[in-house]
Amino acid sequence: MILLYVDPGSGSYLVQVIIAAILGALFYFKNLWWQIKAFFTRKKEEPPVEDKPDE
Amino acid sequence: MNKIVRHPASFKDPAGFIFESGGKIYRQVNQRYADEFKLLIDSGLYAKLTSQKQLLSHSAVADNFTGDNEWFTTILPEQLEHISYPYEWSFDQLRDAALLTLSILKTAITHGMILKDATAFNIQFHKGRPVFIDTLSFGKYDPEKPWVAYRQFCEQFLFPLYLEHYLKTDMIPLLSAHHTGISASLTARLLPWRSKWNLGVRLHVLLQRNVSERKQEPNPRITFSKTKLMNVILHLESIIKGLKNRYSEQTTWSNYYDETILGPQYLAAKEKLVTEFLTGMEFSTVLDLGANDGHFTRLVASMGKDVVAADSDSKCINGLYAYAKETKSTNILPLVIDLSNPSPAIGFGNNERAAFGSRMKSDVVLALALIHHLVIGKNIPFDLVANYFASFGKILIVEFVPREDEKVKQLLSSREDVFDDYDERGFEKSFLRHYSIRKKQVIPGTFRVLYSLERI
Repeated sequence: MILLYVDPGSGSYLVQVIIAAILGALFYFKNLWWQIKAFFTRKKEEPPVEDKPDE
Repeated sequence: MNKIVRHPASFKDPAGFIFESGGKIYRQVNQRYADEFKLLIDSGLYAKLTSQKQLLSHSAVADNFTGDNEWFTTILPEQLEHISYPYEWSFDQLRDAALLTLSILKTAITHGMILKDATAFNIQFHKGRPVFIDTLSFGKYDPEKPWVAYRQFCEQFLFPLYLEHYLKTDMIPLLSAHHTGISASLTARLLPWRSKWNLGVRLHVLLQRNVSERKQEPNPRITFSKTKLMNVILHLESIIKGLKNRYSEQTTWSNYYDETILGPQYLAAKEKLVTEFLTGMEFSTVLDLGANDGHFTRLVASMGKDVVAADSDSKCINGLYAYAKETKSTNILPLVIDLSNPSPAIGFGNNERAAFGSRMKSDVVLALALIHHLVIGKNIPFDLVANYFASFGKILIVEFVPREDEKVKQLLSSREDVFDDYDERGFEKSFLRHYSIRKKQVIPGTFRVLYSLERI
């Protein structure tokens, strides 16, 4: 059990769920874009190994 | 048996509390936190974080000092020289504190734990770098849950940083009025329009504000995962790493002293005198009031003394912090303090966060090229200034800047001269009520007089 002495704040969990979903989708498309680009340029470009979210 | 004094700010978390006994600060761990405390040690998290100097180390003390039934164990943390608060930090200091919090959070997650709070008051500057001081902030990590302290992190770190970044003015002092953090709705109101195109602002400020203003179901079913949490944390980290202080284009801070004051000869002469005055004196701590770019802070720091540098100019303080960081100085603590309005005592009962004056005690106080700013610039009489300076420490090295000086002429040029006693006699009359003169000398090439005073 986590001691919940800090009020997480109204909707703070929900916000994180939405943000995580949006970031997840962004990474998905970013990776997809890399793959498409790699296919057309016919170079063996790999998507970055450790994908960090950008702003 | 020494008297136990419970720290007045240590009441929020039932996991334990801080107390003082025999001049030392201890932390009691309560029974209800026993499992987490064991996990912190057994998971290797404590060893990892302390080896990286990210978490304040402690030694175990077996005794139940307080005689409390809730007692599980007592720890003696490494003792801190100074306590400073987020609203006294410059941009880079708050930014580094934010990045430290996120770094600790990531390490905790890999050890099966998580930060159960993310207040900026959990960070102190110790030996030149930010360190996390709350050993009881770690909870057991449940991968199905988002981060409980996400909102707190945003309000105490991300939002003030965003505000300074976009508004390009001092916004961190706002944390003194909003000491639990700046809300998403206030941040959204203050941020300029152009910032609203930014993904980070959209998600963490605007979306958060919108969701928190909506009516919530009492227990929404939420599924989360470690990957999702890491995405959120990495996003916060990349945003904060991308936020730059507004001084980054101007790198002239190191020339600041020369440009604004009387030039290199004056500075060299004053340096020589200050060094002479300090030679042979026994002292270990220095408080540099009105430190400016930290020229004299660096001088006394190079003598191996521990220095707190206070100035109201956040650019100077940020630059001094950057200098201390670059040179890995462990004995400089720069703080943004307006001496005509130093940090007050705040929080519940005015007891949670102490006033600047009651936290800063020092062997030597430096007040160089400062007196005219307070007396003429802020209309504070000599008597009050002397009384305030005397509260900080025994020895005062103070520079009197007389009327004939260019700087004073400048200050008086735009206002009525109501300062009848502003001369050496008036200065001495007030200061000698609190001090006796050890040494006194005119700074060669100027009208300014440097005093070494000792409190009576």
